[in-house]
Amino acid sequence: MMIQSVLPDHDAGRRGFLRRGGALVAAGGLLVLVPGLVLAREPWERLEAARDVIGERTPRSDGIRLELPLVSEDGSSVPLTVSVDSPMAADDHVESIYLFASGNPNPEIAEFRFSPRSGRAKVATRVRLNESQAVIAVARTSGGEILATSRDVRVTVSGCLTRNDDADVAPMQQPRVRVSTNANGDGPAEVLTLINHPMETGLREGNDGQPVPRRIIEHFRAELDDQPVFEARLFQAVSANPFLRFYLAPEAGELRFTWTEDTGETAALSEVLDPA
Amino acid sequence: MSHVSQVLWAALAVGLVFGVVGQRTRFCLTGGLRDWLLDGDGRRIRAFALAAAVAVAGAQTLELTGVVGLGRSLYLQPQFSWLLFLFGGALFGYGMILANGCGARSLVLLGSGNLRSFVVLLCLGMGAYMVLSGLLAPLRLWLAGLTSVAPGVAPPSLHGLFAQGLSSGVARGLAASVVVLPLLLFAVGNRAFRGSVRDWLGGLMIGALIPAGWFVTGWLGADDFEPVRLVSLTFVAPIGDSMQYVMLSTGTALDFGVVVVAGVLAGALLASVLSGNFRLEGFTTPQRMLRSMAGGLLMGVGGGLALGCSIGQGLTGLSTLALGSFLAVAGILLGAVLGLRGPLRLPSL
Repeated sequence: MMIQSVLPDHDAGRRGFLRRGGALVAAGGLLVLVPGLVLAREPWERLEAARDVIGERTPRSDGIRLELPLVSEDGSSVPLTVSVDSPMAADDHVESIYLFASGNPNPEIAEFRFSPRSGRAKVATRVRLNESQAVIAVARTSGGEILATSRDVRVTVSGCLTRNDDADVAPMQQPRVRVSTNANGDGPAEVLTLINHPMETGLREGNDGQPVPRRIIEHFRAELDDQPVFEARLFQAVSANPFLRFYLAPEAGELRFTWTEDTGETAALSEVLDPA
Repeated sequence: MSHVSQVLWAALAVGLVFGVVGQRTRFCLTGGLRDWLLDGDGRRIRAFALAAAVAVAGAQTLELTGVVGLGRSLYLQPQFSWLLFLFGGALFGYGMILANGCGARSLVLLGSGNLRSFVVLLCLGMGAYMVLSGLLAPLRLWLAGLTSVAPGVAPPSLHGLFAQGLSSGVARGLAASVVVLPLLLFAVGNRAFRGSVRDWLGGLMIGALIPAGWFVTGWLGADDFEPVRLVSLTFVAPIGDSMQYVMLSTGTALDFGVVVVAGVLAGALLASVLSGNFRLEGFTTPQRMLRSMAGGLLMGVGGGLALGCSIGQGLTGLSTLALGSFLAVAGILLGAVLGLRGPLRLPSL
């Protein structure tokens, strides 16, 4: 009797243990599998800001290139170049390129808008990365196609950096532009632009311990005879003294460059473009 | 040719000259101190002093004529850590006695077939990266935070100190003179040195390479949009950079320091082969190897802490008249003398 009364209990206990054990094994298996599944996904699928741009479409990764140093000892100014293979024709061109830093407090870096008169879907700038992370580029073409790529960057500290001059920079001073047309007149002209600006993130404390208010250049526009040819929306992750290198199809006309601060203040510069 | 390629080709030329001159004249602070303190032969140390005088005079001329503004350089930052400069310098100095030559000398020796220097250089590069960005970097940043001082004069140099009471031009001339003249007197006042063509050439040419380096990065490399970082010769971080570059070149850009390192190796190889002095040499005892490894590591760690080596702080840093560089040089000399004399003396090799 004793045995009979005990055994079922014992059995039940064992079955329970086995069931629980099975569940544990299954959960363990999931634990192993779930990160595997997450890791198998592309970086842009894990970043909400990038998902908002991509929507439901499946991006392709060929034809878009993101160039960044593998290791950067100066996270406050990492050179970055993004380009998309495109004929840049009226019916088939790249409309926008979005850049994201997955590990920054604010993932947006910049958004570039092109027109067929951009001639080439390629931009270079310098960005801030506050830790080692994946940098993501997403492009949208006029046909609605989405391209995406990412690149891992390791950011280290360094002893060989000169002091950060950001705080001393007077904002909205000395806009500079250099347009270098191709020697034989064909192919897009290269445009380099730079303006003095601290690009205050609003995340930094000043020497007095008070947070330094956010103050950045939000927008840059290049117009050829009053028609926008290239535009950029900039965020805090663009380095101080924002630098942009982009391209223009060879056309004659008057180029006008405008930088706009978040305070509403603007700076402008004009240059006559003559490819001949 | 873009301004970056111009800088890199010029860097190769600077490195080649350093390699050839270093190999032919045996220019070396370690050897100079040892000859002087242990053997009573002061010619090589005077070649180093002459090089320092030429470097200061040349760099200050560049600054005075407005060709290159040295204020953007690493050495003239408004703050520096007195502890790291002095202690790092001393570690470097002791390390160079252990390893029997500083970083630049090891490159020249490796180019001449001395494989011991290869071990020194590997340990130096690794040690430098350990303190600059690796395992010991948090410790360095912590110590720097505790001990940083701002000299309170702008620029933080001997020139800035003199400019407190004098006009800037006069102050610069005076500051350069009080450094250049004693060094020149020390070098030229010695009969043995005056008669030694080899040491004259070594001092003059290596010294001239320092302003040449400033000119290359500061003038050839000047650009409104993408300026090259203002540097001149130094052999701590660039040796680590070179090791990183050979491993990561697809994702790393070539810079002045890495090309100079390659140039020095090539120049020394060329000079030693052409003069029939190339000879493969290795370790004869494991004790000697241990000493090379320890010396390389100390030079890398110390040079990383002090932001420069016997060349980087001793000639290049000094050429900017930065107050921090005087401290680092004092540290290097102190460390080297401790390795040659006194209770911490190392046995001669």
